[in-house]
Amino acid sequence: MEGNIEVLKGAIALVGYGLAAIGPGIGIGIVVGNAITAMARQPEMAGTVRTTMFLGIAFTEALALIGFVLFFIA
Amino acid sequence: MGEVILASEECDVANEVICAPTDVKELFEFDEAIFTVFGVGVTKTIFLMFLAAFVVVALLYFGLRKRQLVPSKFGSAIEALLEFVRDGIAKDVIGPEGYKYVPYLTAIFFFILVGNLFEVTPFINFPITSRMAIPAFLAIVTYVIFIFMGFAKNGFRYLIDTIWPMHVPIGLRWLVGLIELVSVFLLRPFTLAVRLFANMVAGHLMLTLLLGSGVIFLTAVGDIGIRALIGIPWFVLGVAIFVFEVVVSVLQAYIFTLLSAVYIQSSIQFEH
Repeated sequence: MEGNIEVLKGAIALVGYGLAAIGPGIGIGIVVGNAITAMARQPEMAGTVRTTMFLGIAFTEALALIGFVLFFIA
Repeated sequence: MGEVILASEECDVANEVICAPTDVKELFEFDEAIFTVFGVGVTKTIFLMFLAAFVVVALLYFGLRKRQLVPSKFGSAIEALLEFVRDGIAKDVIGPEGYKYVPYLTAIFFFILVGNLFEVTPFINFPITSRMAIPAFLAIVTYVIFIFMGFAKNGFRYLIDTIWPMHVPIGLRWLVGLIELVSVFLLRPFTLAVRLFANMVAGHLMLTLLLGSGVIFLTAVGDIGIRALIGIPWFVLGVAIFVFEVVVSVLQAYIFTLLSAVYIQSSIQFEH
Protein backbone atom coordinates (compact mmCIF):
# COMPACT_ATOMS: atom_id res chain seq x y z
CA MET A 1 0.00 0.00 0.00
CA GLU A 2 2.77 2.38 1.00
CA GLY A 3 4.66 1.66 -2.18
CA ASN A 4 1.59 2.23 -4.36
CA ILE A 5 1.06 5.71 -2.94
CA GLU A 6 4.72 6.56 -3.60
CA VAL A 7 4.42 5.39 -7.21
CA LEU A 8 1.19 7.37 -7.61
CA LYS A 9 2.84 10.50 -6.21
CA GLY A 10 5.67 10.17 -8.72
CA ALA A 11 3.21 9.69 -11.56
CA ILE A 12 1.19 12.77 -10.58
CA ALA A 13 4.39 14.81 -10.31
CA LEU A 14 5.31 13.71 -13.83
CA VAL A 15 1.90 14.81 -15.17
CA GLY A 16 2.31 18.11 -13.34
CA TYR A 17 5.67 18.71 -14.91
CA GLY A 18 4.22 17.93 -18.33
CA LEU A 19 1.48 20.51 -17.77
CA ALA A 20 4.03 23.05 -16.53
CA ALA A 21 6.02 22.65 -19.75
CA ILE A 22 3.13 23.55 -22.08
CA GLY A 23 3.00 27.28 -21.43
CA PRO A 24 6.74 27.98 -21.61
CA GLY A 25 6.95 25.80 -24.74
CA ILE A 26 4.40 27.98 -26.51
CA GLY A 27 6.02 31.11 -25.10
CA ILE A 28 9.51 30.26 -26.29
CA GLY A 29 8.08 29.43 -29.70
CA ILE A 30 6.49 32.88 -29.93
CA VAL A 31 9.66 34.63 -28.69
CA VAL A 32 11.99 32.87 -31.14
CA GLY A 33 9.56 33.10 -34.04
CA ASN A 34 9.15 36.84 -33.66
CA ALA A 35 12.90 37.28 -33.18
CA ILE A 36 13.53 35.46 -36.46
CA THR A 37 10.98 37.67 -38.19
CA ALA A 38 12.70 40.74 -36.79
CA MET A 39 16.14 39.51 -37.85
CA ALA A 40 14.90 38.73 -41.35
CA ARG A 41 13.38 42.18 -41.74
CA GLN A 42 16.30 44.09 -40.31
CA PRO A 43 19.49 42.02 -40.52
CA GLU A 44 21.58 44.97 -39.28
CA MET A 45 19.76 44.75 -35.91
CA ALA A 46 20.46 41.01 -35.55
CA GLY A 47 22.88 41.42 -32.63
CA THR A 48 20.49 43.42 -30.47
CA VAL A 49 17.57 41.19 -31.38
CA ARG A 50 19.57 38.09 -30.46
CA THR A 51 20.48 39.45 -27.03
CA THR A 52 16.87 40.41 -26.35
CA MET A 53 15.71 37.03 -27.64
CA PHE A 54 17.95 35.20 -25.15
CA LEU A 55 16.60 37.41 -22.38
CA GLY A 56 13.03 36.59 -23.37
CA ILE A 57 13.82 32.89 -23.57
CA ALA A 58 15.46 32.99 -20.15
CA PHE A 59 12.47 34.69 -18.52
CA THR A 60 9.97 32.34 -20.18
CA GLU A 61 11.99 29.21 -19.53
CA ALA A 62 12.11 29.89 -15.78
CA LEU A 63 8.54 28.63 -15.31
CA ALA A 64 9.29 25.28 -16.93
CA LEU A 65 12.44 24.93 -14.86
CA ILE A 66 10.60 25.67 -11.61
CA GLY A 67 8.19 22.91 -12.61
CA PHE A 68 11.15 20.62 -13.20
CA VAL A 69 12.57 21.35 -9.74
CA LEU A 70 9.17 20.90 -8.07
CA PHE A 71 8.94 17.49 -9.76
CA PHE A 72 11.99 16.39 -7.79
CA ILE A 73 10.82 18.00 -4.56
CA ALA A 74 7.36 16.39 -4.77
CA MET B 1 27.08 6.48 -14.30
CA GLY B 2 28.47 3.72 -12.11
CA GLU B 3 25.45 3.97 -9.84
CA VAL B 4 23.00 3.42 -12.69
CA ILE B 5 24.88 0.34 -13.88
CA LEU B 6 24.95 -0.96 -10.32
CA ALA B 7 21.19 -0.42 -9.96
CA SER B 8 20.54 -2.27 -13.18
CA GLU B 9 22.67 -5.23 -12.11
CA GLU B 10 20.92 -5.49 -8.76
CA CYS B 11 17.54 -5.38 -10.46
CA ASP B 12 15.47 -8.56 -10.21
CA VAL B 13 14.16 -8.82 -13.77
CA ALA B 14 11.77 -11.65 -12.95
CA ASN B 15 9.76 -9.71 -10.37
CA GLU B 16 10.25 -5.99 -10.98
CA VAL B 17 8.76 -4.27 -14.00
CA ILE B 18 10.70 -1.01 -13.75
CA CYS B 19 14.36 -1.03 -12.82
CA ALA B 20 15.23 2.41 -11.56
CA PRO B 21 17.76 3.68 -9.05
CA THR B 22 15.95 4.27 -5.76
CA ASP B 23 16.92 7.93 -5.76
CA VAL B 24 18.50 10.18 -8.38
CA LYS B 25 20.26 12.08 -5.61
CA GLU B 26 23.08 9.54 -5.72
CA LEU B 27 24.08 10.96 -9.08
CA PHE B 28 24.68 14.36 -7.53
CA GLU B 29 25.74 13.79 -3.93
CA PHE B 30 29.24 12.70 -3.10
CA ASP B 31 29.40 12.34 0.67
CA GLU B 32 32.72 10.62 1.18
CA ALA B 33 35.80 12.80 1.18
CA ILE B 34 38.38 11.97 -1.48
CA PHE B 35 41.20 13.50 0.57
CA THR B 36 41.67 15.59 3.67
CA VAL B 37 43.33 19.00 3.96
CA PHE B 38 44.12 20.23 7.49
CA GLY B 39 41.47 17.95 8.96
CA VAL B 40 38.77 19.15 6.55
CA GLY B 41 37.42 16.48 4.24
CA VAL B 42 37.28 17.54 0.59
CA THR B 43 34.48 15.92 -1.41
CA LYS B 44 34.40 15.64 -5.18
CA THR B 45 32.17 18.70 -5.53
CA ILE B 46 34.42 20.97 -3.46
CA PHE B 47 37.50 19.69 -5.24
CA LEU B 48 35.94 20.40 -8.62
CA MET B 49 34.88 23.85 -7.46
CA PHE B 50 38.45 24.78 -6.57
CA LEU B 51 39.65 23.14 -9.79
CA ALA B 52 37.25 25.35 -11.77
CA ALA B 53 38.54 28.47 -10.05
CA PHE B 54 42.12 27.33 -10.68
CA VAL B 55 41.39 26.63 -14.36
CA VAL B 56 39.92 30.12 -14.75
CA VAL B 57 42.99 31.75 -13.18
CA ALA B 58 45.33 29.61 -15.29
CA LEU B 59 43.43 30.39 -18.52
CA LEU B 60 43.53 34.12 -17.89
CA TYR B 61 47.16 34.07 -16.74
CA PHE B 62 48.52 32.06 -19.66
CA GLY B 63 46.24 33.79 -22.16
CA LEU B 64 47.26 37.32 -21.19
CA ARG B 65 50.82 36.73 -19.90
CA LYS B 66 52.65 38.16 -22.90
CA ARG B 67 50.92 41.27 -24.14
CA GLN B 68 51.94 41.81 -27.71
CA LEU B 69 50.61 43.55 -30.78
CA VAL B 70 49.72 40.29 -32.50
CA PRO B 71 48.72 37.81 -29.76
CA SER B 72 49.10 34.05 -30.08
CA LYS B 73 46.13 31.91 -31.08
CA PHE B 74 45.32 31.00 -27.49
CA GLY B 75 45.80 34.59 -26.33
CA SER B 76 43.48 35.99 -28.98
CA ALA B 77 40.82 33.41 -28.09
CA ILE B 78 40.92 34.51 -24.45
CA GLU B 79 40.93 38.15 -25.53
CA ALA B 80 37.88 37.52 -27.71
CA LEU B 81 36.01 36.04 -24.75
CA LEU B 82 36.98 38.96 -22.52
CA GLU B 83 35.96 41.43 -25.19
CA PHE B 84 32.66 39.60 -25.57
CA VAL B 85 31.91 40.06 -21.87
CA ARG B 86 33.10 43.68 -21.83
CA ASP B 87 31.46 44.93 -25.04
CA GLY B 88 28.71 42.39 -25.65
CA ILE B 89 27.36 42.25 -22.10
CA ALA B 90 28.63 45.09 -19.90
CA LYS B 91 28.69 47.96 -22.39
CA ASP B 92 25.66 46.92 -24.45
CA VAL B 93 23.38 46.25 -21.49
CA ILE B 94 24.50 48.64 -18.74
CA GLY B 95 25.94 51.38 -20.92
CA PRO B 96 29.09 53.43 -20.31
CA GLU B 97 28.73 52.88 -16.56
CA GLY B 98 29.05 49.17 -17.21
CA TYR B 99 32.86 49.17 -17.30
CA LYS B 100 32.82 49.24 -13.49
CA TYR B 101 31.13 45.83 -13.44
CA VAL B 102 33.35 44.15 -16.03
CA PRO B 103 35.59 42.37 -13.44
CA TYR B 104 32.59 40.87 -11.64
CA LEU B 105 30.82 39.85 -14.86
CA THR B 106 34.03 38.35 -16.27
CA ALA B 107 34.62 36.38 -13.08
CA ILE B 108 31.15 34.83 -12.93
CA PHE B 109 31.09 34.21 -16.70
CA PHE B 110 34.36 32.29 -16.69
CA PHE B 111 33.64 30.40 -13.47
CA ILE B 112 30.18 29.27 -14.62
CA LEU B 113 31.49 28.45 -18.10
CA VAL B 114 34.24 26.20 -16.74
CA GLY B 115 31.90 24.71 -14.11
CA ASN B 116 29.28 23.93 -16.76
CA LEU B 117 31.78 22.49 -19.21
CA PHE B 118 32.91 20.00 -16.54
CA GLU B 119 29.66 18.26 -17.47
CA VAL B 120 31.06 17.25 -20.85
CA THR B 121 34.72 16.97 -19.87
CA PRO B 122 35.86 13.34 -20.04
CA PHE B 123 36.75 11.73 -16.67
CA ILE B 124 35.05 14.53 -14.72
CA ASN B 125 31.52 14.43 -16.16
CA PHE B 126 29.95 16.34 -13.34
CA PRO B 127 28.74 19.95 -13.62
CA ILE B 128 29.44 21.65 -10.31
CA THR B 129 26.60 24.08 -11.00
CA SER B 130 24.16 21.19 -10.64
CA ARG B 131 24.58 21.50 -6.87
CA MET B 132 22.25 24.24 -5.69
CA ALA B 133 24.82 25.84 -3.35
CA ILE B 134 26.98 27.24 -6.15
CA PRO B 135 24.32 28.90 -8.36
CA ALA B 136 22.54 30.08 -5.20
CA PHE B 137 25.70 31.72 -3.90
CA LEU B 138 26.43 33.42 -7.23
CA ALA B 139 22.81 34.61 -7.45
CA ILE B 140 23.01 36.01 -3.91
CA VAL B 141 26.17 37.94 -4.82
CA THR B 142 24.38 39.43 -7.84
CA TYR B 143 21.35 40.18 -5.65
CA VAL B 144 23.47 42.02 -3.07
CA ILE B 145 25.22 44.01 -5.82
CA PHE B 146 22.07 45.17 -7.60
CA ILE B 147 20.14 45.96 -4.41
CA PHE B 148 23.13 47.85 -3.00
CA MET B 149 23.69 49.79 -6.22
CA GLY B 150 19.98 50.57 -6.46
CA PHE B 151 20.01 52.17 -3.02
CA ALA B 152 23.40 53.82 -3.56
CA LYS B 153 22.39 55.44 -6.88
CA ASN B 154 18.78 56.32 -6.19
CA GLY B 155 18.60 56.46 -2.41
CA PHE B 156 15.41 55.44 -0.71
CA ARG B 157 13.45 56.39 -3.84
CA TYR B 158 14.49 53.01 -5.26
CA LEU B 159 12.23 51.19 -2.83
CA ILE B 160 9.42 53.78 -2.93
CA ASP B 161 9.24 53.90 -6.73
CA THR B 162 9.29 50.12 -6.94
CA ILE B 163 6.27 49.62 -4.68
CA TRP B 164 4.45 52.87 -5.68
CA PRO B 165 5.25 53.48 -9.41
CA MET B 166 4.05 56.98 -10.35
CA HIS B 167 3.89 56.28 -14.10
CA VAL B 168 1.12 53.70 -13.64
CA PRO B 169 -2.57 54.77 -13.38
CA ILE B 170 -3.70 55.08 -9.78
CA GLY B 171 -6.21 52.23 -9.97
CA LEU B 172 -3.60 49.66 -10.91
CA ARG B 173 -0.72 51.17 -8.96
CA TRP B 174 -0.99 48.98 -5.86
CA LEU B 175 -1.22 45.81 -7.98
CA VAL B 176 1.75 46.68 -10.19
CA GLY B 177 3.67 47.70 -7.08
CA LEU B 178 2.96 44.38 -5.39
CA ILE B 179 4.00 42.40 -8.48
CA GLU B 180 7.16 44.50 -8.85
CA LEU B 181 8.02 44.09 -5.17
CA VAL B 182 7.72 40.30 -5.28
CA SER B 183 9.42 39.98 -8.66
CA VAL B 184 12.36 42.31 -7.95
CA PHE B 185 13.16 41.40 -4.38
CA LEU B 186 12.14 37.74 -4.16
CA LEU B 187 11.81 36.08 -7.55
CA ARG B 188 14.86 37.55 -9.31
CA PRO B 189 17.57 35.84 -7.26
CA PHE B 190 15.47 32.69 -7.00
CA THR B 191 14.89 32.26 -10.74
CA LEU B 192 18.46 33.30 -11.52
CA ALA B 193 19.80 30.43 -9.40
CA VAL B 194 17.13 27.89 -10.34
CA ARG B 195 17.55 28.49 -14.09
CA LEU B 196 21.23 27.55 -14.07
CA PHE B 197 20.76 24.75 -11.53
CA ALA B 198 17.80 23.07 -13.26
CA ASN B 199 19.41 23.24 -16.70
CA MET B 200 22.52 21.53 -15.43
CA VAL B 201 20.62 18.90 -13.43
CA ALA B 202 18.48 18.09 -16.46
CA GLY B 203 21.53 17.86 -18.72
CA HIS B 204 23.47 15.63 -16.32
CA LEU B 205 20.46 13.33 -15.83
CA MET B 206 19.83 13.03 -19.57
CA LEU B 207 23.46 12.27 -20.36
CA THR B 208 23.68 9.70 -17.55
CA LEU B 209 20.47 7.94 -18.51
CA LEU B 210 21.05 7.85 -22.28
CA LEU B 211 24.74 6.93 -22.33
CA GLY B 212 24.30 4.67 -19.28
CA SER B 213 21.39 2.75 -20.79
CA GLY B 214 23.31 2.45 -24.05
CA VAL B 215 26.23 0.84 -22.23
CA ILE B 216 23.91 -1.36 -20.15
CA PHE B 217 22.04 -2.67 -23.19
CA LEU B 218 25.25 -3.35 -25.10
CA THR B 219 26.87 -5.24 -22.22
CA ALA B 220 23.76 -7.14 -21.11
CA VAL B 221 23.38 -10.91 -21.50
CA GLY B 222 21.46 -12.17 -24.51
CA ASP B 223 21.50 -12.16 -28.26
CA ILE B 224 24.07 -9.72 -29.66
CA GLY B 225 21.75 -8.62 -32.50
CA ILE B 226 18.95 -7.56 -30.15
CA ARG B 227 21.39 -5.91 -27.77
CA ALA B 228 22.92 -3.84 -30.57
CA LEU B 229 19.48 -3.01 -31.94
CA ILE B 230 18.40 -1.52 -28.61
CA GLY B 231 21.72 -0.23 -27.33
CA ILE B 232 23.14 1.61 -30.35
CA PRO B 233 20.17 4.01 -30.86
CA TRP B 234 20.35 4.93 -27.18
CA PHE B 235 24.06 5.54 -27.44
CA VAL B 236 23.72 7.63 -30.63
CA LEU B 237 20.97 9.70 -29.00
CA GLY B 238 23.24 10.16 -25.99
CA VAL B 239 26.09 11.44 -28.16
CA ALA B 240 23.69 13.86 -29.89
CA ILE B 241 22.54 15.17 -26.50
CA PHE B 242 26.23 15.41 -25.52
CA VAL B 243 26.82 17.93 -28.32
CA PHE B 244 23.63 19.74 -27.36
CA GLU B 245 24.84 19.98 -23.76
CA VAL B 246 28.03 21.76 -24.84
CA VAL B 247 25.81 24.45 -26.39
CA VAL B 248 23.60 24.58 -23.29
CA SER B 249 26.63 24.96 -21.00
CA VAL B 250 27.96 27.98 -22.91
CA LEU B 251 24.48 29.47 -23.31
CA GLN B 252 23.65 29.18 -19.63
CA ALA B 253 26.91 30.87 -18.61
CA TYR B 254 26.04 33.66 -21.06
CA ILE B 255 22.46 33.95 -19.82
CA PHE B 256 23.48 34.07 -16.15
CA THR B 257 25.97 36.87 -16.87
CA LEU B 258 23.53 38.69 -19.15
CA LEU B 259 20.74 38.59 -16.57
CA SER B 260 23.11 39.78 -13.84
CA ALA B 261 23.96 42.74 -16.06
CA VAL B 262 20.28 43.40 -16.83
CA TYR B 263 19.36 43.36 -13.14
CA ILE B 264 22.20 45.74 -12.29
CA GLN B 265 21.16 48.02 -15.15
CA SER B 266 17.51 48.03 -14.11
CA SER B 267 18.39 48.98 -10.55
CA ILE B 268 20.84 51.81 -11.33
CA GLN B 269 18.68 53.38 -14.07
CA PHE B 270 15.26 52.18 -13.04
CA GLU B 271 13.33 55.32 -13.95
CA HIS B 272 11.08 54.94 -16.96
